[in-house]
Amino acid sequence: MMRRWIFPILAGGLMAFGAYQATLLATPYALMQAALMKVGKQGPANQFAFAPMTTADNQTIVRPSPDLSYSTCVFDVSKGPVLVDVQPVPGHYWSVSIFDARTDVAAVRSDRDTKGKAARLALVKAGQTAPAGYEPVRVGYDRGLVLIRILVAPASTFPTIDAIRQKSTCKQV
Amino acid sequence: MKTWHRYVICVALGLIGGAAYAVQLVRGGLNDGLVSSGPWETGKSFGTVDASTLTRAKVALSGLLALPAKEAMYFTATRDSNGRALDGRCTYDVRGGTLDGRWWSVTLYEGEGWLVKNAAKRWSIPASAVTTDAQGRWSFTVSPDTQSGSWLPTGSVEAFDLTLRLYHPSADIIKSPETAQMPAIDRKGCA
Repeated sequence: MMRRWIFPILAGGLMAFGAYQATLLATPYALMQAALMKVGKQGPANQFAFAPMTTADNQTIVRPSPDLSYSTCVFDVSKGPVLVDVQPVPGHYWSVSIFDARTDVAAVRSDRDTKGKAARLALVKAGQTAPAGYEPVRVGYDRGLVLIRILVAPASTFPTIDAIRQKSTCKQV
Repeated sequence: MKTWHRYVICVALGLIGGAAYAVQLVRGGLNDGLVSSGPWETGKSFGTVDASTLTRAKVALSGLLALPAKEAMYFTATRDSNGRALDGRCTYDVRGGTLDGRWWSVTLYEGEGWLVKNAAKRWSIPASAVTTDAQGRWSFTVSPDTQSGSWLPTGSVEAFDLTLRLYHPSADIIKSPETAQMPAIDRKGCA
């Protein structure tokens, strides 16, 4: 009797392992796609959206920091490189990070890395080249997210910071 | 029962069981199997290609768009310094000293990582909001009720967690986060 179940149980075990691995692998892609859709509603692709300071009433992404201003650009390099120019904010921590569709960080540049100067990044996929004056950042997927974080402390500095950050651009070549 | 019936039953149970186990692990929070310093726990590979499939899935659920350690480290506490789960109906003292990094803040979250609605509209304590003494020591209160001095409202939620962000952490902390001198979280009483 039991012998009839041995091979079906082994097949079930293999399927369980496969389903476990597939679920873990798919989770970041699925959650990133959901995030790109949410963020994408704030503006068109390859263009920055400048969000207000995060409160309990306007949370877009899980575990936000209410001390940082967030600017986001859903990038798509399928039709050409995407150029990211980040305006520096003197005296405040800021960084620009590039996340791919698997949620991995393709690049991070902060005011410490640029020594307070502007960050100029060209997001490129295989076969594309960065224009002169831009640091190439190779991305493994066509779509992903550019995120600028700027420390807003004290909170009263936000209007000044907001005016500066709106000079940052994200555009397709 | 025919042979193919047995295969269908076992394969279906395997698929459902494997996926359900993965979901349960992912929903288990960021802290499982990570590095601890007092009640605070963190990981070394958030946001990097070095992250395991399980860590990457957990971070995607509870800390999407996290930065790698060289840029920022995220220490999360779900328990106080005596190991009791953080309860929004209780009052806590959070006491710490100089943190070896450029800037820090502590933010209070509920659930998978959402800011808690509260009348005071406070969700975090940044380094600039605490008063430090000559030895660099500082403290603030976490409470459901209004407090004097620096305080964070819990909104009286049943359970919450605290996340300490440390931007541009020192090389020592990146290498050995378990040696970081993290704040103590002491429960003072409950409503």
